[in-house]
Amino acid sequence: MKLEFAAAFACLTVVSVFMWKSQPNQSVQGKTPLVWTSDDNPLRKEQIDLFNRQHQSLNLQLDPNNQGLEKVIVQSLAGVGPDLIDCRDANQLAAYVKAGIAWDVTEELKSRGIDVRAQTWACMHPTAIYDNRVYGVPTNCAANAIWLNRKVFEELKVPIPKTPWTWQEFIALSQKLTKRDSSGRLERIGFLFDWWNAYHFVATFGGREFTPDGTRSDLDSPQAIASIQLMHDLVYKYKVTPSPVEESGMASAGGWGSGTINTFGSNRAAMALGGRWWLANMRSFKGLQLSVVASPFDLVPACSTAGRSTLINARSPRRKEALEFLVYLASKEYGALINDQADGISAFKAQSAGPAFENNPRHPEETYNSTWRQVTETAVGQEGSPYINGQVAKRIFDKQLDLVRVDAKSAEQAMKDAAREVNEEIKKKLAEDPILFQRWTSATGHAP
Amino acid sequence: MNKQKRNLLIAMAFLLPNLVGFLIFTAGPVIFSLFASLTNWNLQEPKSTSYIGGHNFVELIQDKQFWTYLLNTLYFMLGIPVSIAGSLWIAILLNRKLKFMSAYRTIMYLPSFTSGVALMILWKSLYNPDFGAINGALHSLYGFFGLHWDTPQWLLSTKNLAGLEVESVELSRSQFGIGARDAIMYMGIWAGIGGSNMLLYMAALTNLPEELVEAASLDGAGRWRVFRSIIWPQLAPTTFFIVIMSTIGGFQGGFEQARVMTGGGPAGTTTTLSYYIYSKAFEEFRMGYASAVSWILFAIIFAITLANWKFGQRGLNE
Repeated sequence: MKLEFAAAFACLTVVSVFMWKSQPNQSVQGKTPLVWTSDDNPLRKEQIDLFNRQHQSLNLQLDPNNQGLEKVIVQSLAGVGPDLIDCRDANQLAAYVKAGIAWDVTEELKSRGIDVRAQTWACMHPTAIYDNRVYGVPTNCAANAIWLNRKVFEELKVPIPKTPWTWQEFIALSQKLTKRDSSGRLERIGFLFDWWNAYHFVATFGGREFTPDGTRSDLDSPQAIASIQLMHDLVYKYKVTPSPVEESGMASAGGWGSGTINTFGSNRAAMALGGRWWLANMRSFKGLQLSVVASPFDLVPACSTAGRSTLINARSPRRKEALEFLVYLASKEYGALINDQADGISAFKAQSAGPAFENNPRHPEETYNSTWRQVTETAVGQEGSPYINGQVAKRIFDKQLDLVRVDAKSAEQAMKDAAREVNEEIKKKLAEDPILFQRWTSATGHAP
Repeated sequence: MNKQKRNLLIAMAFLLPNLVGFLIFTAGPVIFSLFASLTNWNLQEPKSTSYIGGHNFVELIQDKQFWTYLLNTLYFMLGIPVSIAGSLWIAILLNRKLKFMSAYRTIMYLPSFTSGVALMILWKSLYNPDFGAINGALHSLYGFFGLHWDTPQWLLSTKNLAGLEVESVELSRSQFGIGARDAIMYMGIWAGIGGSNMLLYMAALTNLPEELVEAASLDGAGRWRVFRSIIWPQLAPTTFFIVIMSTIGGFQGGFEQARVMTGGGPAGTTTTLSYYIYSKAFEEFRMGYASAVSWILFAIIFAITLANWKFGQRGLNE
């Protein structure tokens, strides 16, 4: 028995030592490794290669499997987090800052001549700036506009719409472009959008998620209600966009990019709401003839955006090296690469202008690049409130939006309920946090 | 050192790795979570963590979502008796002496070998309201009987057979129908029938004294009588074990389905307590509150298991 035990122990020890010794060495030929959690967009490889070519002493690696907010926070607090973190909205930035994971790079960037506030598009600031401190550099900018399938327009002899235009004009056009068979099945979708783009609709109606001081939810405003009502009506009243049931039948085969892009790219829709980053997928669709116009609006010409910023993990032992990546994001070479790849447009205003941006000789058919710049000028970033956990606000909004989407609740009631629930959560938070309470009362001039 | 002591040391040495693993990775976190439930620990604001006594538990009692998701969990558990009965029926069928029985047994156990995520994706496509096989079959059936009924929207509908409201613990006529809650429950029944419960019943049936069944048959007892008076009482300890384990599994279940198939929606109708714990801990980062929900879940499971034990044992002894 003793012998068997000793043999098993020795065997396990040998195997453990072997595994430990044979684990892949992250450091390539003496280079410092940097881990970046971002999505597995195929364009990322070229962006990483360019950085690694420019920085011979560093070896940047992509980690697409650990980009979830919860994974980054838990891993970072445990001391095994990435060096560079992608941040997609104000809620994520607030979470990273509060958890002590986002490194305040205000001074570091200033000393390198990078002014995020002045040089980048305003819609990207909520992903990089929190409480007037800079925590990251916008990686790209992806304002939404309306993609047009020119083939459908030509077939139906419908002229390309002139902008600016209203939602009413848009609905009339969508109805013209939608085709259903005798049983009501969609043969051609007039307009395609993802429900997670709800804030785009809110923005075009001049609505907001929170009041400007962030002290209460503004989802019950007439503008926000009207925008969600429009989303509902596009599905159930005007029937120009697929219902949830029809949508579930269109589920794509997976891979990078959403089902909406693939559906539009395969000529099944006449118009779609999306960003320039869709081209990363759509360039591979043969025979697709595209055009782009600014989104319709109700009160103010506006649109939402879907870009990212990259932050440095405050707990990373390689913060100084990681800073080189943020400097790289601000470089002309990186900006030109983003514009060329169509991974949105460069987040730096000066880099997304001029003949090189507007007329890409490798893609002469893309004659609409100036439109992307125009829509980005009107784009608004997603708001946050310091008085509520952004994830809680998102959960509440998503749940009510879900009910509107499946036609189980009116838009008005859903948005009123969402605002009430968000405001209740704010009150709860204020009761727990005296500093926040003081901030709230001085902002509003009264008690909650 | 005498032989007894030496043997004890050897036994301890064998047990040690497991024991150390259990203490570090199971018992330690369990005890830690009990302390965490008494704090306002939030991963977003780790520096402001402080002791808050039973505040999380008081908040939990007033938390409408907790009760709604507890109700969702209980709703899914309604399928447990059906799946246990199904397991028993299949086990009895597979206990016969027929050709190719090993193949039949393997086929019935196949869902347990297959990856859960793969099965859920398969079910998701079966439940597709437009192109899914289930609605396809229902369409044909309705057509055969000349019925003009709408087919269910399954995972896309907030309706359910009990008429439970979406956002509160109430009943409503408008919510009556077939929807996501039912879809998840039916899938659970299917998965439960051919799983380990069936194997347990098959093992128990193998151990059943054949002479009892033969004697009863000679005395003129029919199949139903043999089942009711001999097989069922003999299987009581197995059934008792299965009921307890299924109840525990039911309270802890629903996470994978919510994560893979529905994201907890539509509008939270397929969110169970286990998914709620995950959401509170890793989406809202309220580790203290999530720990409190975990301990309440434990208390519920413990109380129900005790009740099962008490009343079930009485049934066994009778």
